[in-house]
Amino acid sequence: MAHLCLFSLLVLSLVLETQALTPTHHLTTTDVARLQAVLSQPFTDLKSAYYSVVGLSKLGIFVADADETCRFINSNLDPSSVESLFYAAEASQALSGCEIPVTNDTRDLLLATVSEDSTASQIHQSVSALSALGLPLASQEVVSALKARISKEDNVLAIILALQTASRLSQQAELGEILEEIEDLAARLDDLGGVYLQFEEGLEATALFVSAAYSLSDHVDMEPPLKEDQVIQLVNSIFSKKSWDSLSEAFSVASAAASLSNNRFHVPVIVSAQGPAAVSHSHPFLQLQVTDVLCQPLSSASVLVESASAVASKSAILSQAPFTLRDGVFELNFMASQPASGYYQFSVAITGDSRFVANHVELKVKVSTRVAINNMDLSVVDKDQSIGPKTTRVEYPTKAKASFMADSHQNFAMTFQLVDETTGVELTPHQTFVRLHNQKTGQEVVFVAEPDSKNLYKFELDTAERKTEFDSISGTYALYLMVGDATLENPILWNVADVVLKFLDEEAPGTIQAKTLYVPKPEIQHLFREPEKKPPTVVSNAFTALVLSPFLLLLILWFKLGANISNFTLSPSTILFHIGHAAMLGLMYVYWTHLNMFQTLKYLAIIGSLTFLAGNRMLAQKAVKRLDGK
Amino acid sequence: MSNSVFSVISRFVEEYRSSTPNKLKMIDAYLLYILLTGVFQFLYCVLVGTFPFNSFLSGFISCVGSFILAVCLRIQINPQNKRDFLTVSPERAFADFLFAHTVLHLVVVNFVG
Repeated sequence: MAHLCLFSLLVLSLVLETQALTPTHHLTTTDVARLQAVLSQPFTDLKSAYYSVVGLSKLGIFVADADETCRFINSNLDPSSVESLFYAAEASQALSGCEIPVTNDTRDLLLATVSEDSTASQIHQSVSALSALGLPLASQEVVSALKARISKEDNVLAIILALQTASRLSQQAELGEILEEIEDLAARLDDLGGVYLQFEEGLEATALFVSAAYSLSDHVDMEPPLKEDQVIQLVNSIFSKKSWDSLSEAFSVASAAASLSNNRFHVPVIVSAQGPAAVSHSHPFLQLQVTDVLCQPLSSASVLVESASAVASKSAILSQAPFTLRDGVFELNFMASQPASGYYQFSVAITGDSRFVANHVELKVKVSTRVAINNMDLSVVDKDQSIGPKTTRVEYPTKAKASFMADSHQNFAMTFQLVDETTGVELTPHQTFVRLHNQKTGQEVVFVAEPDSKNLYKFELDTAERKTEFDSISGTYALYLMVGDATLENPILWNVADVVLKFLDEEAPGTIQAKTLYVPKPEIQHLFREPEKKPPTVVSNAFTALVLSPFLLLLILWFKLGANISNFTLSPSTILFHIGHAAMLGLMYVYWTHLNMFQTLKYLAIIGSLTFLAGNRMLAQKAVKRLDGK
Repeated sequence: MSNSVFSVISRFVEEYRSSTPNKLKMIDAYLLYILLTGVFQFLYCVLVGTFPFNSFLSGFISCVGSFILAVCLRIQINPQNKRDFLTVSPERAFADFLFAHTVLHLVVVNFVG
């Protein structure tokens, strides 16, 4: 049972994985032009010259004035600095016919930098300079130095530079361990929402990683351990920013774009519809642009519609239909399959090169059409059906010549059909409204016309029933038919006829009041809670006396029974007890008039304890006396 | 029928007058007083109205509470019940009576408003 669950989970995950990602962000031709413009800015120093010249060469553009640039490089070169040599060497290699003079000292300086004591950045610069200048270098030494530096400086940028350096070394060197760093670095990428994959160090690091990984993989001819989805997520991250803060950032994006459009393993494919993805009888071709990340058309690609189905009915229209390439754009005559108007889900596959990544694309295509109104019949029907209906047919876009009269005994009815102009298929657009406009008062009432089961639209106006919408105002109303839908190319607003409605006059309001929504409303007066009605003072006083009267009765009864205080002993405890007790009763009165519970409890504690002690003593004495008396 | 009821009542009254000690009679007078006070308060509430309701409640509860405490005192003091209250002397009963009244009046005065 558990095995079955596991197996089904595996199958399910495989099925879900086949839903490949497609790039949500990519560079358009304007973006590429902007990138070129940024890199073509006049350079101020050797570093910016390097970024501009090498960046533009990656985009396939060569600097206009090569000699001028070469002279600039040579004059700004500092032969005692490895960094300066690196910039100069790389830039001069990108220019044709530019030579940097190399002395033995230069060569020794560069070779000496290749050691475990230099930083990864310094090793990268010296190795690149050596290889650009055509000087020999010992690859194995470089490899061991790089390995030592990677373990010492474990940050992302150092490892990326190590990868770049390794791609300049001889193919016989043992680059296996450095190659494994690609996988380790890929694991350090942050996945943002399943859409983006980037380093926390930023865009530049991510772009440099991509270009370094692919250049090393191409150099050793081994596929980089990046899954297709990861490649697309990297594309989204790198090309989501369309304006770059610094020259180095623009350079990194240009290198990444160049390596993604031209490497031996993964070439992401960007598919976009030319204009809106919509076809109609006037524009029957669905045109797609299929390019690489640098917006260069893919010449070896062949585009195929694997399936196209209607969104509403899910019925398949096309299967395995090829696009034809014309002027760099792939097009398909979709209207030739005579689709009904609506939305269609296309599943497009781009084949032709095993390197293509994200070559299955889902597109939503809209098929628009023009609508025609047929058989518009207007009639006035008597409610008791005694007189037969007079039907008038009106042709679009003319207006009925005579106006129609309807009062409370009659219904006004309208029927029509909406069909596709070319195919004659019945349509049910989203908006079919009937609008009645009173030209004199400016009132407007809108109703919806509903289709029945045979797609015939009906509208009936019962004057008696609908008088509230019209505020019972009789008069001439212009009748308009409004038809609209996202898939209609010709929305319709047609003044069909004039209708004279008669309501019973006594119900009509005297003047028509425009709906006043924004006038100040009447002020709300707050009603405070009324105090409850008290009974008259006489009644209260009478009942107070009544309630107190039993006390008198008590005194009389006690007197009659012979109550006395003859046993009153004048001992201190007795006096103290009685005083304390009186004080407690007094405290109760004061509590009622002035104090709160906390204060009362405080005083009660004091008085109460005194009274208790005195009372205890007094009662003990009494008990002794009682027992003695026995 | 009414004859026997009348004779029972007169017999009861006679017994009461003769055999009840004075102390208990005094407590009974007190009980009558409390009862009448409560009844008059209730009468006011029925006739005139429940405003203010909290005052009526506190007064009425005070009467009820006092009545109950006095009944307890009477039971504990009664010499005929001595066997049931071996640990409680009359003085102790009276002290309890006073203490309970203090608590009752604290609550009543709090509620009377």
